[in-house]
Formats: sequence, structure tokens, C-alpha cells
Amino acid sequence: MTQSSLDFRGLQSSNRLKTFGLLAGMGALVWLVVFAAMTYMGKSSAMIVPVAVGFALISVWGSYYFSDSLVITMTGAKIIEREDNPELFNLVEEVCIASGLKLPKVAIVQDNAPNAFATGRNPDHALIAFTTRILEVMDRDELQGVIAHEMSHVANRDTLVSAVAATTAGAIAILSDMLTRMMFFGGMGDRDNRENNQNPIAIVVSLVVLILAPIAALLLKSAISRKRESLADATAVAFTRNPAGLRKALEVLQADSTVVRQKSNAVAHIWIESPLDGKAVSKLFSTHPPLEERIAILRNMESNPLN
Amino acid sequence: MKSTLIIVAVIALLAIWFIASYNKLVRLNISADESFAQIEVQLKRRADLIPNLVETVKGYASHEKTTLDAVITARAKATSATGIADVAAADGQLTTALRGLLAVAESYPDLKASANFLSLQEELSTTENKVAFARQFYNDTIRSLNQAVKTFPSGLFAGIAKVSARAFYEIENAADRNVPNVKF
Repeated sequence: MTQSSLDFRGLQSSNRLKTFGLLAGMGALVWLVVFAAMTYMGKSSAMIVPVAVGFALISVWGSYYFSDSLVITMTGAKIIEREDNPELFNLVEEVCIASGLKLPKVAIVQDNAPNAFATGRNPDHALIAFTTRILEVMDRDELQGVIAHEMSHVANRDTLVSAVAATTAGAIAILSDMLTRMMFFGGMGDRDNRENNQNPIAIVVSLVVLILAPIAALLLKSAISRKRESLADATAVAFTRNPAGLRKALEVLQADSTVVRQKSNAVAHIWIESPLDGKAVSKLFSTHPPLEERIAILRNMESNPLN
Repeated sequence: MKSTLIIVAVIALLAIWFIASYNKLVRLNISADESFAQIEVQLKRRADLIPNLVETVKGYASHEKTTLDAVITARAKATSATGIADVAAADGQLTTALRGLLAVAESYPDLKASANFLSLQEELSTTENKVAFARQFYNDTIRSLNQAVKTFPSGLFAGIAKVSARAFYEIENAADRNVPNVKF
């Protein structure tokens, strides 16, 4: 491994670059779907693109804007005040000073699995939540690492990034769905035009593109989420300069096999450890990099204290 | 016609670049002030905790006079210090003195078990962490500021923005530099 891939600053910029590349890939995929649709059904089919994008925008951006209150309802988190848990607030304040971020809202989820998440549309509306279990099993340093990881999501605006990814993936899904339906029900006006001068290979290829695009979009969305998790680990170390704390915390999560009760796919990406069973979800579709990989990267940072 | 348009575009781009560089320097300078203020806030919190701590330790270990006096003198110095270099030096002394006091406390089981000391200990460790993070944040800000001032082209505007390179917050701390002494 080169030096630059070991220090947190290098890791931060490489993860940012990869997210950008993946989002660009999403954009290219949208373009490909539109192109395939026009090849298959003629120019007039392009007009359904704004409809699909509009649907996706409304559904995803509503949940983005109200992310804090929505996630509270979905996970059953209870917002707490300083006097409910002064030690936890002390730790959160420490990380806020280290990161220069505002103090977020703090919430507790009654759950027997150790886990935590962050949400909120921007650093001013941030919320971080912890399960009751994680507060029991982790010591001061480990919790500090977890809080730093969650505050990194706030600092890196990961709610926004995942909303952008979800919008594009959603638009692609709606688009492909509408187009495949239209194929079966006879399509639109340009039919004669198409039958006269279209290459049959192009038509088959565009059909395949339309069928595979939603899967590709889902893969890209998962890849973006994994990159944001790696980025949050690197940023957390930039805040605390203590890779050992987060590494030990991840080891605690690894040793604990309990999984957060509420297994909804929709909010899986927000937790620090994926609440979905690792075996049931293949690596390509998973929202988090494997814990062993994250622990190994943090260990590398511990043995190479460059900063 | 076309060439005037190009000239206007170039001037506009230059103006945007100028404003962006100027604002970046001013912003960094302000956040350097803010992050120094944060260090002072946390140092004050720590100074406020010390009288209570000293009283508690006195109740159980009154003959540890030298250690207690070291903390009291260091606190007095820290509360009266002004200017980055002085504040940092006094901060370093107080940090070392406090570590000495907590090490002494280790040998008094009654003290360690007392409720008052336990709650003070959590307050002290979080305040120590906050002081340390505030220093780190300040030094990171100074690093970006100095980089912007000393490198081309952003450095061109340092004079106009009245922003100059600043000193890092460095504490004199023997314990951080030396390997711990092993006593037999």
C-alpha cells in the first residue's frame, strides 16, 4: 500500500473522488436508458423522462427534507436532553469541538442490538441516535469513535448524497418500468418510423438495457453508500486522531451478532453497522463495506501514525 | 463585438476569482479567532473545576502538599495568562500538574471511591478531551490559514485582506515528549 492510502486525508479525498465517479456513473446510466428508449420507441418516448424524474424527485426529496422527523418515526427514536445522559452529551460535545460542527439533537432507540445512526438534511438539522445497547457495551473511547463516525456523516452531508443517489436510482426504476409496460401495450406514435429504418440489433440491445438498468442503478446506489461509510471512518479519525477507538468499537459490533429488530430495507444505510443479515444480502448489494475490511484499514492507520 | 464579449468575460472571471480568494483568507482568519476563543472557553471550564477538585483531594490526602500547591499555582498562572504563547505555556503546566494530582489520587482508595471524586473525574476527563480537541481544531485552522497565506496564488491577497500567518498553539509538555519513567 502506498503512504497516501494510509493516512486519513488521502483516504478522505480518494473516497470523495470515488463517490463523484459513481454519481457520474448514475448520470451516464440515466442517459443510456433515455437513449435506449428513443432507439426502441422513437423520439416521442423521451417526453416521459421528466415524468419519471418528477416522481422520483417528489418521493425522495420529501423524505430528504423531513429526514430527521421521518427517521425518528420509522425507528422509534426518542430525543433526549443533557440531563438524561450527561456523559453521552459530554462525548458528543467533545466530537463537536473536534469537528467544529454544531451540537446535534441526540436520540435513543430502545433496542438490544448495539448500533447508531445520523440523519438530518444539513448540519443545522442534524440528529444522531444510539440504541440503548450500544451505550451499555461500549467504553468512553469506543463511543467517541462511534460518535465521530456519525458526526462525519453529518459533516460530509451524506443524507444529501444518499438522497441524490436514491432519486436517480428511483427515476431509472420508474423510467424502465414505464417503458417496458409501453412495449407490451403497443407503444407510441413513432412506430412506423421505427419499423422502417431501425437496426434489429440496436432494438434488442436497448431492450436489454431497459431491463438491466434498474439493477445497475441499485448496484451503483449500494456502491455509493459503501464509499460514504469508508469516508466517514476516515473523517472520524481526522476528528479524534484516535483510530483505535473506532476500531475497537467496530470489533465490539463484530463480536455481537444481534441485529436491529426493525429490518426495513429503506433505512438500512443509515446505521453504523448494517442491520440486514450479511449472508442474506450479497456483497454487491450491501450498503456497508465488510466490518473486517473497515477494521483492517483502521489498524493500518494505527500502525502508521503519519499525522 | 465578439472580442468585447470575451474581454468582459475574462474580467468577470478574474473578479470572481479575486473575491473568492479574498473571502477565503478572511474566513480562515475569523475561524482562527473563533477556534482560539473555543480553547479559552474550555480552559476556563477546567480552571473552574479545579478548586472543587483540590478541596476534595485535600479531604483525603492533605499531606500531598507539593502536588496540590503545584496545581494551585499553575491554575493561578493559567487564569491570568494572555496572548497565545503565554496561554499555551500556562495550559501545558496546568495539564502536567493535573496529571500529577490524578496520579497521586491513585494511591488513596477512599478518595477514589468517593462520589464527589467520581463525578469530578468524569467532568475532568471530558474537559481535558475538550481542551485537547479545541487545540487540535485551532492548529488545523492555523495550518490551512498559513498554507493559504504562504502559497501562490491565494497568498497574493494576504496583504489586501490584512491577513498574515499565525503561530501554532504549542503546549510545553514534558510528558508528551519523553518516554515515561520506569521506577523500580
